[in-house]
Amino acid sequence: MGGTTVAASTLLSACTGVQEAQNGGNSGPFPSTPGWRFAFVNHVTTNSFFVPTRSGLTDASALLGVPEPQWTGSENGNVAQMASAMETAINSKVDGIAVALTDDNAFVELTKRALGAGIPVIAYNANAAGNYPLTYVGQDLYLSGFRMGQRIAQKVTSGDIIVGISQPGGNNVQPRLDGITDALKQSAPGVRIQSVNTGAEQAGELNAMTAAYTGNTAVKGIYAVDAGSTAACAKLIADRKLSGKIGGGGFDLLDDTVTGVKDGALDFTIDQSPYLQGFLSVLYLYLFRLSGTLVAPPVTDTGLTFVTKENVGPYASARSRFEGGDNKAVIAMPGSIPLPPPSVLSR
Amino acid sequence: MTETPVTEPAGEVIRVEGISKKFGPVTALADINLHVRRGEILGLIGDNGAGKSTLIKILTGYHQPDGGHIVFEGEPTTLKSVVHARSLGIETVFQDLAMINDLPVYLNLHLNRELTHRPLPFLRRREMKRRAREALDSIGIDIPSVTAEVGMLSGGQRQAIAVARSVYSRAKLLLLDEPLAAMGAKESAVILRLLRELKQRGDIAIILIAHNYGQVTDVCDRVNLLQHGEITFDRQSKDTSVAELFELVNAEYRLDGGH
Amino acid sequence: MSSKPVLLGVMQVKELSILLVTIAAGIYFTVTSGAFNSLDNYQTIAQYVAPWSIIAAGQVMLLICGEIDLSAGFVFTLAPFMMMQFFVNGWPLWLALLGAIVVSTLVGLANGLIRTVLGIPSFITTLGMAFLLQGLVLIISNARPVGTPKDSGVLEVFGGARWTEFLWALGVVVVMQVVLSATRFGIHTQATGGNPVGAAESGIPVNRVKVVNFAITSTLAGLAGILQGTRVGSYDPTNGGFTTMFFAVASAVIGGTALLGGSGTVAGACLGALLLGIVFDGFNLTGVSANAFNLVLGAAILGAMVLNVTLVVVRNRIGSRERT
Repeated sequence: MGGTTVAASTLLSACTGVQEAQNGGNSGPFPSTPGWRFAFVNHVTTNSFFVPTRSGLTDASALLGVPEPQWTGSENGNVAQMASAMETAINSKVDGIAVALTDDNAFVELTKRALGAGIPVIAYNANAAGNYPLTYVGQDLYLSGFRMGQRIAQKVTSGDIIVGISQPGGNNVQPRLDGITDALKQSAPGVRIQSVNTGAEQAGELNAMTAAYTGNTAVKGIYAVDAGSTAACAKLIADRKLSGKIGGGGFDLLDDTVTGVKDGALDFTIDQSPYLQGFLSVLYLYLFRLSGTLVAPPVTDTGLTFVTKENVGPYASARSRFEGGDNKAVIAMPGSIPLPPPSVLSR
Repeated sequence: MTETPVTEPAGEVIRVEGISKKFGPVTALADINLHVRRGEILGLIGDNGAGKSTLIKILTGYHQPDGGHIVFEGEPTTLKSVVHARSLGIETVFQDLAMINDLPVYLNLHLNRELTHRPLPFLRRREMKRRAREALDSIGIDIPSVTAEVGMLSGGQRQAIAVARSVYSRAKLLLLDEPLAAMGAKESAVILRLLRELKQRGDIAIILIAHNYGQVTDVCDRVNLLQHGEITFDRQSKDTSVAELFELVNAEYRLDGGH
Repeated sequence: MSSKPVLLGVMQVKELSILLVTIAAGIYFTVTSGAFNSLDNYQTIAQYVAPWSIIAAGQVMLLICGEIDLSAGFVFTLAPFMMMQFFVNGWPLWLALLGAIVVSTLVGLANGLIRTVLGIPSFITTLGMAFLLQGLVLIISNARPVGTPKDSGVLEVFGGARWTEFLWALGVVVVMQVVLSATRFGIHTQATGGNPVGAAESGIPVNRVKVVNFAITSTLAGLAGILQGTRVGSYDPTNGGFTTMFFAVASAVIGGTALLGGSGTVAGACLGALLLGIVFDGFNLTGVSANAFNLVLGAAILGAMVLNVTLVVVRNRIGSRERT
């Protein structure tokens, strides 16, 4: 029995590509480096949203000649478990850590310890105040919510709207809701927001949104601030044949969401480019080590792209690896590129 | 029989009069009158469901009677609970024996009477083992190890321990609900011998429920029949026979409609 | 010749098989990972083991007397928030902590009374209580985590200083094992589970035994929640929950407590938690990623239990041969 477990885990280690420090590869113009081991600490490790993130980190590590980083943390948002995983990473002396800061306090001491031991720490996907990551790679959460609120105000100027949120208070989604609330206060003060706690499991999210809608069928719009709940919105609007009659929109690019935008159930969804969150994090950790801290990782907003019926095409058809599909081929460029929103300087 | 100085008439340990008990619409006992003397073994027979177990449970303090009264050692008494009845010296060996299979013999012997290092709540296992050994030996029960789990022992051994438990706690009245029901001849003989020995010691009264009328007439001094919620027959064993008892219990069910 | 009875005596120890399996797991990870045998890593393992052991110490008692508490994981989550609620309303911290523990005990009493007085099976009773408490946590906390108070002497003892969480766990395990095997209450708990009718006929207050065990389990769960939250530095509504409760019960069962009641061991549960902690930590240490993690964890647990059961069978066979 013991032998079987040894064999099994060895096999799996080989499959997942995690090894002890070994001589890494050559990476183009860069000198050869040891096989730096990076660890990604995540709050919902098995959630489909992060599949492109893992593609991103795999691609970056292959490109740079380092072993594929470990993907660990908690499956269901448990902060204590994430902290334990980060601690284990520090104890096993990894060469870099990327962590989703879903809690304001739990990671502070650990980050200090890691930095103190010469291990760079980057935050990705979720940021928190009072923490000490070298940088944040991800969407500006409050701003994305604010822009979404402004977008909603273009269509809905009075009445009620439902907004689904999977982890109320969670660092990675609550700021978006706050942004929406503030934007509506400015642009459409007649709109009242009813927030719905949809839980983190996708099946439950549809139930929660449906129940909320059934309780208030006069709402002017059904929206959400996280991936799963947005997909639930799209399904709900399609099932109840409300497409076009009611506003709808949210975040991220789950299959149901993309279908919803294509078919008109949703007016928009917002792409935060999970692929880049994985890709750039590995790139920044690598360059930081390679240059002995000279190349400091910059704060990177991975995106606030509104995906609407106009530009949803490739998202739907390409099944691209960049969005979690399995298509690695080059995706054809469109003949002309849709105009982005006008640039706004910060001062 | 040894002479013991008595203050109550004829050494009666317990007398009950007019006991009744209903469970919802069902009358289990209507009007029970019964008594047992010290050093006497009373056999209680009756059809299944006649109410024998209910009567035992009342005498042991597990149920409260709806009507009637109890006189224990000459004093009118209410048996408020099992613990209370035990404290008076009424011990019962139930059909299911109330044994805990995962616990060893010595702990079963001391169930709810465990010895502790007062005032600390810690068990005095060594002392309990010693006393268990002593008690079993003095009654003449053959159990090789007092630390064996009761679940590992044979039916007869478990029954013997159940009886020993009651005796060991200085019972004055011992109630046995069908102790021989599941036992073969050999094991029954052990228990019957045990009961006879207790009788010889003379300081205990015993009420025994059984279905094997041969065993009843063999070891009991007197027999009571419980029928339709009342005691309808009360005679010395030597004045009756197995055939008569059988006839009494089964008469109303005979295929030819009775005599 | 004198070694034989000693060896036999050792083999009779209930917890022997789980101990051997745990040692085997430790050896395996020592071999496959250089960082396993470091003080820092032991501390990480201790952090897994502590909450599961503390909750398991109570669950063992409940399982023995034929019950279970599915709400323990949410008492775990709720207790720190109750403490903070009292604290921000002006109570001194030590009193707030005590208040939170008392609230935990009250939850246990409620569970026990609903079970014994209303006769509702403990599975349903505690399941309902679990959701109730979860909702209460979300309302009190507004679904946001709360940072632990800084510079508090009181909290230093309750999870703040290094190793305190684990020391509390050891203390709880020792005390509860003593209660189980060396007090009347422990015997009565076993009797209540092994033969509830017989125990009642012997005058053991079986309902009271159950209620007390429910209260003990909830109290311990609340304590464990405060300890872990203080150690992590954040009281989070995502802490605890069904997963924590489940791993605590798993520790108990892996450690030798029968799911259907009648017998059990708190020390074994602690070893069960240790095994789970070693496996969890070990696979993280050797770099297994999330998708594969559960597969490997499941295989390891099954493998450990097969070994455990085999050892028990071997032990019984040798033991009975010696007895006859």
